[in-house]
Amino acid sequence: MLKLSANGIYKNFGGLQVLNNVTFTVEGPELIGLIGPNGAGKTTLTNILDGALKPSSGTVYMNGERIDTRPPYGVARAGLGRTFQVTRAFRRMTVLENLLIPAMAMNTTARQRDFEEKAQEVLEFLTISHLRNEYARALSGGQQKLLELGRLLMLDPSMIILDEPFAGVHPRLMEVIYRYITETNAQGKAFIIISHDMDTIFTLSRRLLVLNYGDLIADGEPEVVREDPLVKAAYLGEEEE
Amino acid sequence: MNPNLVYRVSGSIAVILLLAIPLASSEMGGLGPLVLSSYFMHLAITGFFYAILASSWSLLAGYAGQFSFGHMAFMAIGGYATGLIGKFIRFTTAPSELCTDIPLPGSWWLVILNIRRVGTIDESCLDMAKTQTLPAGTLIVFPPVWASIAMGLVFGAIFGLLVGWLVLRLRSTYLALFTIGFSEILRAAISAEIPVTEGQSGLELVPLFPAGLLGFSSTSKIPPYYAMLLLFILAMALMSWLASSRFGLFIRAIREDEEAAAALGVNIVRFKVLVFVITSTIAAAAGALQAHYIGIITPNTLIILQMSLVIAMAVIGGLENIYAASVGAIVITFVLELLRTSVSIGPIEIDMTLWRLVFFGILLMLTLRFQRNGLLFPILERISRGGVAKETVSIRTETDEEFADLEDPDTDGPDAESSREQPERTADTENAET
Repeated sequence: MLKLSANGIYKNFGGLQVLNNVTFTVEGPELIGLIGPNGAGKTTLTNILDGALKPSSGTVYMNGERIDTRPPYGVARAGLGRTFQVTRAFRRMTVLENLLIPAMAMNTTARQRDFEEKAQEVLEFLTISHLRNEYARALSGGQQKLLELGRLLMLDPSMIILDEPFAGVHPRLMEVIYRYITETNAQGKAFIIISHDMDTIFTLSRRLLVLNYGDLIADGEPEVVREDPLVKAAYLGEEEE
Repeated sequence: MNPNLVYRVSGSIAVILLLAIPLASSEMGGLGPLVLSSYFMHLAITGFFYAILASSWSLLAGYAGQFSFGHMAFMAIGGYATGLIGKFIRFTTAPSELCTDIPLPGSWWLVILNIRRVGTIDESCLDMAKTQTLPAGTLIVFPPVWASIAMGLVFGAIFGLLVGWLVLRLRSTYLALFTIGFSEILRAAISAEIPVTEGQSGLELVPLFPAGLLGFSSTSKIPPYYAMLLLFILAMALMSWLASSRFGLFIRAIREDEEAAAALGVNIVRFKVLVFVITSTIAAAAGALQAHYIGIITPNTLIILQMSLVIAMAVIGGLENIYAASVGAIVITFVLELLRTSVSIGPIEIDMTLWRLVFFGILLMLTLRFQRNGLLFPILERISRGGVAKETVSIRTETDEEFADLEDPDTDGPDAESSREQPERTADTENAET
């Protein structure tokens, strides 16, 4: 069973303390929401989990292996996939090529045609199969988000971090993303979802982590977190009054 | 149309035509009224040389996004490596005692020559050994040209590995500046080390085929034509295979977004170094062959103008396609030579030897302004991707019909009611940002 543990993560950029002793554990296919005001350290934490940033101190273990010392490709191969806050599709490559990259990276001896069928299934699931041979730059912003999610299905990690998956997305595509999360989670993959869309994140998540200026101020079920006075003061504030 | 089929058919036709060209040369008596001069054959060889450089630079810059200005430096490394091996290495059947002697199996010795200045004459230790220490009847053999060229490739690969590793974390402007610096340092070092490299006078090399080949003399253009064509075909075959394999997929992903590629499991360090090594080796191979064909190599091959020429050829042909870049290089080689002919307009005579570069520069600027993907690449794209827009629309229509009937009771997402809208975007968006 998947186990990810972040232990005493500190991160500072010069004199700016971005993360301050962040510790949490993910066990099994949890569906976790990570919330916090702008500048709380959510993306920095994601970048540390992903290997893009090294923590100033602290460790990250995944299934017993230390991953905070690995480069991002090593973390991906250990089973952690992510999307980015700003969509980062490979714009001058076709949709199909975008999907083949993670599959090929994870299977060093396989050929492209070995994954074309799976890519087709992913595209159909995401309702963008008609765009398979288009360049990614021709896709709308929402479709590019779907493409990023599709790449993660091809990477097939045991844990997925989604950074603002619902931001600026058409309701029709939002439904597809929502279905993607629930169905993929039901298949046994853990999720950490960063979002400012409070309604969706409270509906979707079964556990919430709340960051505030680098401190993890709450960790628990959404209903409990919603009533936490620290969270109310720091984030939900007047809205909940 | 299947793009692989298009490339295979057009590539095969091109190879057959290129193989047949020497039949029309003046040396072979021509083909009916078509008689190609020796000068034409020389231009074709030069065209292949630039095509190898432009296409390999296209793989490095166009596919992998590594805008190196040091490509001609790797070409020169290949040329100088083979030239220096020819100048300083000999095989003998007895030790010279005066040079550096390395024993080889089979009672042969590898002799590294030391050049000593005696008065105003550079005298090699082997010349002195001939009269002082070498027994009579000792065989002295030059290294085979092909072995020297192979060593040129090895040196190209080694330097490619070093530079590739050094520039790993450099991007765009910094990478360009670093590689310009590397190229200039190499040029200055070659110019300064006169006892070794002959400096600005240039390092002389033995001909590609010192004893001729198959009845052709050592000065014939036909064997070098086929040698350069063979290298061109081999280089294109290798790069074409790489570009269509996982290697091509990964380096293009790195070009698009390094961090995203790494997050998807791509070992970006490995592939960035690898593309540097491969393209440097190809450039070194072209440089080694060309140096033997011309018979001399000088530090001027490293000047920024030469590098600019290769870049311009790749850009005008099509930076993101090795075929377009290579065709661009061959066409531009011929056009630049044809433009040498001076033009008279009334009493004014225009010296085209200088003005042709102005026209060439204007063409480059217009290409960059209006056709960033080059003049040939869009044509190849149109052929190979002509059916994509139609395919997209037809599949979308089918999918939309399925959407219209889609009812999924398990889906409990937000705004489920509004989700019955049709996708808001038309699919006919091909080349939307071209």
